[in-house]
Amino acid sequence: MIWLRRYGTLAGLAAIVLFFSVMLPETFLTLRNLGNIGQQVSMLAVVAFAMTVVMVMGDFDLSVGAMASLSGVVAAVLFVHGWPVPLALAAALAVGVIGGILNGVLVAVVGILPFVATLGTLTMFGGAASLVSDGRTIFGRDIPEAFSGFAKGTVPGLGLPALTAVALAVLALVWVLLEQTTWGRRLYAIGGNAEAARLAGVRVIRLRIQAFALTGLGAAAAGLMYAARVASANPTQGNGLMLDAIAAVFLGMTMNEEGAPRVLATLVGVLILAVLDNGLTQMSVDSYVREILVGAIILAAVGMAGLGGLARR
Amino acid sequence: MIANSVRRMAGALVLTMGLAGMAFAEGKVTVITPYLAQPGTQFYLDGFKASAEGKGWDVNVVDTAGDIAAVIARMEDAVTQGVNAIVINVDPAQVTAGLEAAKAANIPVVGMDAGMSPLLATNVTSNGYAMAAETATYVANRIGGTGNVVMFVFDAFPPVQMRGVIADAIFANNPDIKVLDRVTPDVQDGGIADSRAKMEAILAANPEPGSIAAVWAAWDQPALGALQAIEAAGRQGEGIVITGIDANPQAREAIAAKGNFEASMAQDFAGIGAATADAVARVVGGETIREPMIYVPTKLITAANVAE
Repeated sequence: MIWLRRYGTLAGLAAIVLFFSVMLPETFLTLRNLGNIGQQVSMLAVVAFAMTVVMVMGDFDLSVGAMASLSGVVAAVLFVHGWPVPLALAAALAVGVIGGILNGVLVAVVGILPFVATLGTLTMFGGAASLVSDGRTIFGRDIPEAFSGFAKGTVPGLGLPALTAVALAVLALVWVLLEQTTWGRRLYAIGGNAEAARLAGVRVIRLRIQAFALTGLGAAAAGLMYAARVASANPTQGNGLMLDAIAAVFLGMTMNEEGAPRVLATLVGVLILAVLDNGLTQMSVDSYVREILVGAIILAAVGMAGLGGLARR
Repeated sequence: MIANSVRRMAGALVLTMGLAGMAFAEGKVTVITPYLAQPGTQFYLDGFKASAEGKGWDVNVVDTAGDIAAVIARMEDAVTQGVNAIVINVDPAQVTAGLEAAKAANIPVVGMDAGMSPLLATNVTSNGYAMAAETATYVANRIGGTGNVVMFVFDAFPPVQMRGVIADAIFANNPDIKVLDRVTPDVQDGGIADSRAKMEAILAANPEPGSIAAVWAAWDQPALGALQAIEAAGRQGEGIVITGIDANPQAREAIAAKGNFEASMAQDFAGIGAATADAVARVVGGETIREPMIYVPTKLITAANVAE
């Protein structure tokens, strides 16, 4: 039972991979397809890794999808105004940090529940994205080749898609921050018991603001990756990332005895979602059936972990 | 419906197991759209599927629920799967990465009201120029080539901008027609409310009966807004002719009421779907389609045929 609780989700991923390898013997486990999956999942992965940071503290950020949309249109509008690519990207990332700090202040200083605070900022960021872009999709000549070309590129010598490389870099960064620094351990302490952490001298307010800022930055980065991938920016294009990212973190949490989010476990959650999408599309499974299956798998994984927890009690 | 889907899935599983590795002589086509929930898309698909069924194809429809990056991802998956053709219903400029993947694998991609792109085998759609020509000539003829016309345009959106250009030309070609105002309404709220406000201002500035002969709108919402303004001002008896484009349900209702809103243009969505299937058959058969856009005829909707 403990084994099932601990490794059920990982075994689930292995079973899914095995299933598709058997069903799609010629196309699934090819280098090309794995490269595709790595690239397809990169934006969701970055949002999910960033989301893990606040979920470690038991917090939530519902605004990540809207922030991804906002950062995309901010960069695109700056391109239209003739800003150089690096400067426009820096500005869009700064918007992510500012939005994250706003979330952190609302949650940690004002004391609004994260669910409500980020629901509010979700709406604000979404409105801002429509305002900045005038509700339109910015595409074509307005998007510089230097920007959209990045998403098509690969890491020289490795053949690794550039977007995948970015996602791996973010994974490494979040892993080091959460698992290898006192900063990360303090976040976990807040997640365990915020009051106890505060009494033990952890500067809870400042840490929470920093964590939300990091999540905002990650969401903005994912928005830029998305905009580069589709060579356009639209005020709602990143919105779908939020629910999938939360699902991925939850899937990952099933792999931990305390039910705490770990970024490597989030990676497993993200991969389950991406592999299902890729394999089921190749098997011509109806998109709506696909959605039902994905939802059922999330519930099964979380349910199994929950059952294990009950048995222990 | 779920049972049906499950059966379809089971069918797909059986098919995959039974035919793994075998060539699909009858053809495998993947249709990818982010807009399946929109009513127009359903009509395209009904037309496409009906035609594809007759051709014996195995059609897989993928809906990405508004997610454009997922369209690229699913195109890559279809390429990996080795389908015979892909149909997209999304701006090709946004899915270049997917189009390039298909091109590299020699899998043709046909646009179903998508947009023009050198990476598409062709795109099947309605002719926006032709639609505008029909309603603008309707207006010019109804007012006998004389009078003041108010235009509602939206030049920031290319498919609507092209409609305005044609109407400009037709009105300019009638020496006694004067374009009183060329209004770009604010479309944040859908376009009706602001068009009504703009039209109310124009009506106030032109109080004489007969001082406005017609309102030509590049799509239905401003036409509906103008109609509301004219009725609210009590000037519906002046014979102001209003036309729109798209023939949406609200516009059809207004046309059927035989008031000032007299005409609009209906696109043949099912026909676009069927013509897309024909285009797919041609490219899969090895033909290179010369024209980058294939136009499906549209229809002028008036009180005479609105009930059809």
